[in-house]
Amino acid sequence: MNEAAMELINVKKKIGKKEIIKGLSFHINKGEVFGFIGPNGAGKTTTIRMMVGLMSLTEGDVLIQGHSIKTNFKKAVREVGAIVENPEMYPFMTGIQNLKHYANMIPGVTQERINEVVELVGLEKVLKDKVGKYSLGMRQRLGIAQALLHRPSILILDEPTNGLDPAGIREIRRYIRKLATEENVAVIISSHLLSEIELMCDRIGIIKNGELISTQTVHDEADQHEKLQQIELIATPHEKVIELLESKHNIDVMQIEHSLTFQCEKDTIPELVRTLVSHDVSIYQIGKARASLEDKFFDVIGENVIE
Amino acid sequence: MSSFLKLIYNEQLKLYITKSTWIMYIILAALIIGGAAIVATFDEDLSKPTGDNWREELQTENEALLKENEEAGEEEGFVISINNDIIAENNYYLEHDIKPSSYGAFHYVHENQGLLSLISLFTIIIAAGIVANEFRWGTIKLLLIRPISRSKILLSKYISVLIFAVITSIFLYVFSFIVGAIFFGIEGANPHILLHTESGFEYVSIAGDILSTYGYKLINLVMMATFAFMISTVFRNSALAIGLAIFLMMAGTQIVFFFAERSWAKYILFANTDLTQYKTGNTPMLEGMTLGFSVSVLIVYYAIFIVLSWFVFTKRDVAGH
Repeated sequence: MNEAAMELINVKKKIGKKEIIKGLSFHINKGEVFGFIGPNGAGKTTTIRMMVGLMSLTEGDVLIQGHSIKTNFKKAVREVGAIVENPEMYPFMTGIQNLKHYANMIPGVTQERINEVVELVGLEKVLKDKVGKYSLGMRQRLGIAQALLHRPSILILDEPTNGLDPAGIREIRRYIRKLATEENVAVIISSHLLSEIELMCDRIGIIKNGELISTQTVHDEADQHEKLQQIELIATPHEKVIELLESKHNIDVMQIEHSLTFQCEKDTIPELVRTLVSHDVSIYQIGKARASLEDKFFDVIGENVIE
Repeated sequence: MSSFLKLIYNEQLKLYITKSTWIMYIILAALIIGGAAIVATFDEDLSKPTGDNWREELQTENEALLKENEEAGEEEGFVISINNDIIAENNYYLEHDIKPSSYGAFHYVHENQGLLSLISLFTIIIAAGIVANEFRWGTIKLLLIRPISRSKILLSKYISVLIFAVITSIFLYVFSFIVGAIFFGIEGANPHILLHTESGFEYVSIAGDILSTYGYKLINLVMMATFAFMISTVFRNSALAIGLAIFLMMAGTQIVFFFAERSWAKYILFANTDLTQYKTGNTPMLEGMTLGFSVSVLIVYYAIFIVLSWFVFTKRDVAGH
């Protein structure tokens, strides 16, 4: 599971004298959904373009299943299915004509595979309509179908849920998870919808001003086993809670508006609750405070400023 | 199908699925049918006499024309010169004892060769769009992330332009022949035609003349289409490519005459695209030009166009619009 499907090694891109990407190094594992986020102008799309060989690398290399995109483009790109920016198709051709057009460019894509992919993204009914008449959501699906035709081991999707309705988003999300777990496909998703990334991805990479600021796991399994946990408590009266916890359990409590947060060991929680109840504190809610991705994002990024 | 054939198939599919391509064929068809209808309606006197007593008929025609010339005033010099031409033509038939061929499908195809310029125009439009449009539609990105080298994709597009030119010319000839046959009938297996050249009359096979004319015109067509293809690839702008190529196609010879005094004029592309200037009896456009010279100049220009397109297309970063 932990084998790298794609590896970026000190990737740099200079346009003119300006260094747009300043040495990115990270890898994406097989069977992993990797979220690529960052503020506008951070270099997400440039990085994706370099991953698929649309732009040349000034320095460094991208290895796809061990093949360099620079020296072994055909073998490297054979493993990749992608939508770069918008899912642009030939507007004057029908959905099926578009798919066949791309199928013709890769050896070994059969009619059965085309049907399979069409069924998967749910485009059967509009297959014979011109793509010019498609809604953005339909084009998005067709874009995904096109990217999956040749069973790539790496799927790169730029804003994949853009223009989809909630049901469509959920469907695509499920499908992406399924691809990752069942077919061991590495999926790279760039998005500005942080909540989307949070729901779909195993790991995220945050990029800012052409630098990778941090990669982190989304569902921090490790959190569960850590001794000290961040606890969020909503209870009244506040003063009494703060005083009780400090005197009886030696815990520092922070008050943020109506909720109180503090750190404690998991095992002491029942005892804490008993103490509070026995002193007539009304408890409305107690739970683990989980920093949402958005908080993490702004923790690392700071404000959304393009430098 | 090999992968390269599939690429060409893709390009042809994209060409022939668009309406603008069909409009080109409709225009051609309309001109061919319309031309035949006009010729059939207004020009009753098409055929030379082809009966057994054709000699006497040619004589009488000549006498009638001479009489008309005597009656014509000075301001009707145009009529006189046309009549003189016809008389000279008739005399050639009589002197060489050649029985004139009747008018028919072959003659009609021969007359429609002028439409090859229109095909050049259409080919320029196709060449100008075939790369630039992919950039305009944004589909270039999906095209270039396939396990196929950029050179192959570019080559498949270039060859598709040439295939379009060939298919369209075949359409012109075949359709003209069919329309000609319907309106005028077929005049025989290998009819001949009397041509006016700088060195006098020449009696040649129509089919042969059509082939050689096509060969000569093809040079200009290929050069201009390649030029448009290059502009389209380098600037990713089909309007610019169409505009420039058509302007140069129209103004090419004028440009040469404008600079005719300069020593470098003979290196201008358009001084060399018309190789008929080296046919026996014709004089080259400018002094010091030979067939070998022109062919060399053409090859150099062609190589520049191709290499420039290839270099830019394979090296370019495909970024946003």
